[in-house]
Amino acid sequence: MVPEADLFLRVEHLSHSFGGFKAVDDCTFEIARGSISALIGPNGAGKSTAVGLIAGALKVQSGRVYFDGQDVTRLPAYKVARRGLLRTYQVSREFPLLTVMENLLVPPPDQRGESLLNALFRPSVGRRQDAALASRAVDVLETYGLLPLRDEYAGNLSGGEKRLLELARAEMANPKFMLLDEPMAGINPALIARLDGHIRRLRDQAGITFLLVEHNLDVVERICDQVVVMASGRTLAEGSMAELRRNPEVVRAYLGGGLDERAVG
Amino acid sequence: MDLILPYLATLAIFFFVYNILTWGLNIQFGYAGVLDFTFITFVACGAYFSGVFALGPGQKSTGFEWILGLNWPFPIALVMGALAAGLLGIVIGLIAINRLRSDYMAIVTLATGTVIYGLVSNYTPLFDGFDGLAGLQTPFSQWLNINYNQFTYLWVGFCAVVMVICWFIAQRILNSPLGRTMRAIREDQEAAEAFGKDSVRVRLIAMSMGAVLAGVGGALLMGFIGAFNPAGWTSGETFVVWAALIVGGRGNNWGGVVGSFVVAVLVNEATRYIPPIPGNATLIPTVRNMLIGASLIAVLWLRPEGIIPEARRRFYQLPLLPGRRTPAEGVGGAGS
Ligand SMILES: Nc1ncnc2c1ncn2[C@@H]1O[C@H](COP(=O)(O)OP(=O)(O)O)[C@@H](O)[C@H]1O
Ligand SMILES: [Mg+2]
Repeated sequence: MVPEADLFLRVEHLSHSFGGFKAVDDCTFEIARGSISALIGPNGAGKSTAVGLIAGALKVQSGRVYFDGQDVTRLPAYKVARRGLLRTYQVSREFPLLTVMENLLVPPPDQRGESLLNALFRPSVGRRQDAALASRAVDVLETYGLLPLRDEYAGNLSGGEKRLLELARAEMANPKFMLLDEPMAGINPALIARLDGHIRRLRDQAGITFLLVEHNLDVVERICDQVVVMASGRTLAEGSMAELRRNPEVVRAYLGGGLDERAVG
Repeated sequence: MDLILPYLATLAIFFFVYNILTWGLNIQFGYAGVLDFTFITFVACGAYFSGVFALGPGQKSTGFEWILGLNWPFPIALVMGALAAGLLGIVIGLIAINRLRSDYMAIVTLATGTVIYGLVSNYTPLFDGFDGLAGLQTPFSQWLNINYNQFTYLWVGFCAVVMVICWFIAQRILNSPLGRTMRAIREDQEAAEAFGKDSVRVRLIAMSMGAVLAGVGGALLMGFIGAFNPAGWTSGETFVVWAALIVGGRGNNWGGVVGSFVVAVLVNEATRYIPPIPGNATLIPTVRNMLIGASLIAVLWLRPEGIIPEARRRFYQLPLLPGRRTPAEGVGGAGS
């Protein structure tokens, strides 16, 4: 499928049960480096569970996850994140009692001020690094139009602003791969256009690979190179939107009439 | 005058010690969200270990037995007590702090504390069991020739110096990137992990640094009273520190000062010196506990973030790199 040289993320026979219920069942797919891909499927298909398994937030029960040429199946979430795979949540998970600015200063990796000895005996180390990070955060906040809100508690932002903050925060972590769980859920069309603009910018300028769980097929059509379809925990199909539209199984399980209309209109 | 001054000095000592304790719990819970329901165990650890380093050897034949008994000068014994508490913080933290679940921290800390309480109060070779440590010479008496009142004033000064050092420890952690990461983990452990933060490591640091302050406070009590036994560290004492932190305001150390003054000094300690009412000896302690509980409930209802809430960090507090625009020129201006 994806040529070996371009392979960035490979999910192999992933399965996960909650109690007796198989939420993810033998799920397999591949994502190419530098692509923007979508993971689609009806509610309850196991998409969020798959995201949690890939990112190490859930313990993998069977199957394997390879990221950037290495097996990350058993790594805890923070180690997966340190390798450059960053995930967001279906429900925004900002740090509510930290300001917007502080929310952006948490993600950057390798902060020397996080060492206890530096914090106690050499506070200037942390302060100097913070100055550089804050300077960068100002640029990022400006890009997302959040600069006026920098001193606001993140918990006080509107739903749409929180979505922007999630992406801005993730950008501060310098990831190689972003795994976004429904980044556009519950926001207005104008903001959706802004968000997908940011996603394309990050891919083109920073070379970040994206996999987004997304319900909005217009967005998928507009920005995604490749689509993975899940249903009842399984991968049903992989390919471009055009290919999937011709796949009767996909149309029956998920796309239904909506897709035909769009294909015609 | 002869009575009032030593009394006020004693209250000052308790105030300073409780400040240190409240800051310690603040590092654990206020910064890092660790539900430490056995905080007093770390206080006891500091008291016992400073005691056995400063006391002479115990002797089984005389009915006083304890480990070590090294006759070390008290300031060094205090440091050893603090280190022992910090180590115990790591040990209990390793049991209680879990990457995937933070909900059972409270019950696991409580359980380990109960086990340790049972062990220490029943196994006499450790710290003489229920009788506890006693007979510590007043610190500095080997160098100075002073009476007990003079020692009390000296101890106020010593506690003040130690308290200032603890203030700097607590503040430096709070204002560092480490403190910011602790607060992020408190807000959302899973999201912090998703950004590459090792929440277990960071929470262990918070647990052990909080325990170090607890140990310092315990050692200061040991030095002042000269004795320490299991009656002094029942689980109700943990509740007093918690109440002080919640009432005063968590996440900032001035809140700890206010809380320790209101709860620990005004209510808890000052009422100890009211003579017992004849025929009703338990009335005052009962009223004291009711007052602490009532103040906690009142704060949780009326001002859940505490009397002094956590300060919002405004961006202009962060220095920008040279050549960068100042925040005031940014879109919308500072804090608008
Ligand atoms: N923590 C959980 N415990 C039990 N069942 C769960 C849990 N998380 C998800 N599920 C179930 O697993 C299935 C897949 O859920 P999810 O991965 O959230 O689907 P999707 O994101 O595709 O909508 C659903 O039926 C859901 O009810
Ligand atoms: Mg989902």
